[in-house]
Amino acid sequence: MLEVLQVAKRYGEVWAVREITVRVAAATCLVLLGQNGAGKTTALRCMAGLLEPTSGRVRVGGVDSREDPDAVRAQVGLVPEVPGLYERMSARSYLDYFGRVYGLDRPTRDRRIGELLDLFGLSAAADRWLGTYSKGMRQKVALIRATMHRPRLVLADEPTSALDPDSARVAWSYLEGLRREGSALVVCTHDMEEADALAGEIGIMAGGLLLAAGDRERLIRAAGLKKHRQVIERPTLEEVYLAIIGKRTESEARPA
Amino acid sequence: MKLDRRKVLLVAERDFRDAAGDFRLALAMAGLAAVVPVGVGFAIRALVVFGGGLTDLVQRVSIVGAFFVVFLPASYSLVLALESFVGERERATLEVLLSTPLREAEIYAGKVASVLGIALVLCFGALFVYCAVTFPGLGYFPLGILVSLGVSTICQVAAMVAGAVIVSANARTMRAANVMASFIILPMSVVLQVEAGLILVGRGELLWGFAAAMAVGAFILLRMGLRGFSREALLSRETGGRDRLRGALRAVAAAFRNAPSGPALLRARAGPILSALAAFPLGAVLGYLAAGLLPAGIARPLVAGVRSAGAPSDPASAALGIFGHDLFAVILAGALAAVTVGLTGYLLTAVPGAVLGYLAAASSWGLALTGILPAALVEIPIAAIAGGLAIHIGATVIHMEREGGWTRRLLAAEAELAKALLWLAPLILLGAILKAYLG
Repeated sequence: MLEVLQVAKRYGEVWAVREITVRVAAATCLVLLGQNGAGKTTALRCMAGLLEPTSGRVRVGGVDSREDPDAVRAQVGLVPEVPGLYERMSARSYLDYFGRVYGLDRPTRDRRIGELLDLFGLSAAADRWLGTYSKGMRQKVALIRATMHRPRLVLADEPTSALDPDSARVAWSYLEGLRREGSALVVCTHDMEEADALAGEIGIMAGGLLLAAGDRERLIRAAGLKKHRQVIERPTLEEVYLAIIGKRTESEARPA
Repeated sequence: MKLDRRKVLLVAERDFRDAAGDFRLALAMAGLAAVVPVGVGFAIRALVVFGGGLTDLVQRVSIVGAFFVVFLPASYSLVLALESFVGERERATLEVLLSTPLREAEIYAGKVASVLGIALVLCFGALFVYCAVTFPGLGYFPLGILVSLGVSTICQVAAMVAGAVIVSANARTMRAANVMASFIILPMSVVLQVEAGLILVGRGELLWGFAAAMAVGAFILLRMGLRGFSREALLSRETGGRDRLRGALRAVAAAFRNAPSGPALLRARAGPILSALAAFPLGAVLGYLAAGLLPAGIARPLVAGVRSAGAPSDPASAALGIFGHDLFAVILAGALAAVTVGLTGYLLTAVPGAVLGYLAAASSWGLALTGILPAALVEIPIAAIAGGLAIHIGATVIHMEREGGWTRRLLAAEAELAKALLWLAPLILLGAILKAYLG
């Protein structure tokens, strides 16, 4: 579904992403972990057809983002870190607007909007202006907006960072449902527990580089934890993450 | 350029509803668009009643009043247009809009259409209210001028909106957009004052000329916006641009280093140089024709000035003076080319041509040509080359590409002229010496 081949992105003199390669099949999920400024958001924007890579290629559903970025964006649902809602619109009219932008017909729009507002517990507030919504409610609306057209690829940047545990559980369960229905997911998060539960594959980014990517076992090997520790229990994802990031920090600190 | 009209209208409708949804803003705009025309209309009627009837002056003032009430709502369009992209960027809604399958042209056209729609509804609403209050019962209704005012308003608002949307798409903050809006407000205020002056002196028919000029300006700006609008550039700027001063200085140095010179430059800029050269005979014809139209009070001092400049007492100091003047003219033309869209490049050759034509009309072509030879053989090609490079600068200003690089291209164009001055300056000096000693 998603192929990111040797993608690099430079802003002026700063390389935000350096030659990353990942593949995400339909009905699978890749979780990207990394510190702030690791290049996750830029990588997502390149995958979403929002930014053209400085080098390398992005293909979504076989469509090259350089050749037909509009077709790529039509297949993608992007949940940015900041919900970015129009404050003087009600949730219903906001979602209806984006439903029209994505070319959904009226009955489909009405049905999907009703279903999703119910699912996220927003039906009672559906006709209130978005400016009056709490941070968590906004994040839910952003998630609905990005996925109401059933995109083949969902790109989510910290989709549950403002949600309470109960709402976060609903959101993760909804994303998991989308994955089961066939959507490919790429999620950036700092929530290791959820990442562990959701991810088929995990990518760890730092300084624009994809330091390691793969399933949990592969990451454990990449972190070198099996060599150094004789542990009976599996290391947690957080330990794996810290080990991989730590290795990079050590190599950067080492004098040439 | 593919453009789905339904999607353009979708974007326009949302923006329109967003502006109208802010009741304080909507009330202020609608209120001023209604109250001001009523006030001005009653003032005109009071002038008729207490100022000695419907005199010629009152008639002209009534048209200036129409002009005023139409322009006031047009100025709101500037605020709305400036807010169109930079406002969305500040509210973090831009990324969401750009992540949709909407094409760049659809987003841009939708935003322009929304602001244009609001502005024109307010402008023509205000004009309607003004006419309804002012003219009934007066036995006077300047339909022709009001139509020309209406058309020129459409063109002016379109030019302002298109320009402001470009500013909005290129600014990072609303504050920066407001500052950059001066580039629209200042020329527009000059245009408005000239138009008001023309109405007051009874030459309202010339508004059609302004309408045509504004239509051309609006077309150029809309084209620039459509060609230059890029979601890539909008999002890249949010994280790009470290150490801008050093980057800019490096870009200037690189542009100067890489600029073509000599024959390569003449080949590369043959088009603009030839068009600058063509402005010389055109200027001569216009100067010749103008000789019959200019009042003698203006013409005599002009001719005397030109003759005295061409007959100095000390050739060495005269050569130095001519050299300084010509060099300054070339530098000024290059510096102003960016803000005059290359017009100064044409003036470099057209103005000497016009003076020659004028002198020819005052005496004869033979005498006029003899007067400028042989220095003109050097000066006119120099003016054409410098003018061509200034025209190229102007063309760079109004050319935008999706990939960006507008500043880099402008710097490169300015660098071409700067580098050319290294060999043009000695030629200017040669022309000045020829003029001082042989002219």
